[in-house]
Amino acid sequence: MHKVADIEVQKNIMDANRKLADRNKKNFEDNGIFCVDFVGAIGSGKTSLIEDIIENTDYNIGVIAGDVISEFDAGRIEKHDVPVVGLNTGKECHLDAHLVGHGVGDLPLDDIDLLIIENVGNLICPVDFELGSHMRIVVVSVTEGDDTVEKHPLIFKGADLVVINKVDLAEAVGADANKMVDDAKRLNPDVKIIKSSLKEGIGLEEIIDAIAEKKENI
Amino acid sequence: MHELSMAQGIINTVLETAENNGATEVNKIYIEVGKLAMLNPEQLKFLLDVLVENTMAENAKIDILEVPVTISCPECGYEGVANLDDSDHYAPIIECPKCENLRISILGGRDCIVKNIIVEKPDEE
Repeated sequence: MHKVADIEVQKNIMDANRKLADRNKKNFEDNGIFCVDFVGAIGSGKTSLIEDIIENTDYNIGVIAGDVISEFDAGRIEKHDVPVVGLNTGKECHLDAHLVGHGVGDLPLDDIDLLIIENVGNLICPVDFELGSHMRIVVVSVTEGDDTVEKHPLIFKGADLVVINKVDLAEAVGADANKMVDDAKRLNPDVKIIKSSLKEGIGLEEIIDAIAEKKENI
Repeated sequence: MHELSMAQGIINTVLETAENNGATEVNKIYIEVGKLAMLNPEQLKFLLDVLVENTMAENAKIDILEVPVTISCPECGYEGVANLDDSDHYAPIIECPKCENLRISILGGRDCIVKNIIVEKPDEE
């Protein structure tokens, strides 16, 4: 004979990641590190922006480069002579706090005051996975189409800074960069939005200032 | 495609709970998915059905309840269910239903929770 039982579980599957994200943040703060994570689609310009920040600031930077195969981006960043850890997500579409925790363990934390995390190119899945960073920068390029912002509201709602990149190409691809600015403002009324063209040197200074300002206010 | 890792987390939780309670079979699994979680309930259900194969939850009925988004509005003080402009699970613009403010704080609707399971257990004797 069997009996039937109703067992209360009440387990939040998202909580495991959030707890690890909190642990990462505490680890950063205990080591005097300000952490920024970059999200954006494939080819939006995340790696180029990180390279430009390394070359144009005096921070002691460490980088965690996440990708389905991370050696390509990690190799680019390594050339700038900063400590970098590549995190392979393999089949997964996002970094999670657990992977980041492992990556952090391989960095010389005492020598770092700005940790940059580059997420996998994806505007959807990273929404569900906080990493423990102090600032999330979403990079979107006009070449992705000027409806990209309104199609991905939640990633923009969670952004601390939105970079609309490759504005020099807007006309060539028939995209309206100002529409993207308006869409981001509608989704996240208080977010800072910067139009940039890294190739033309537009916007980089403003982005660096925005990071410095957020770092000051933590 | 992180439905798979979420589904695996759900199944691990279900099987662990069932085992810890001395169950021999899982009959029903109740799950709540928030409307702001980037999870498609249909895909999640499909993957759960695959993952339960050859486990004690193989024949379990899986029930996924979608949970609305709740907010608080600093403008008018409203607290409760938000207006979503779009019935599409993935693209809601969230606004206060009272004053249409978009500067709101999200209180709930981002989670994926295993609520409870119905299991069969052998009689004590």
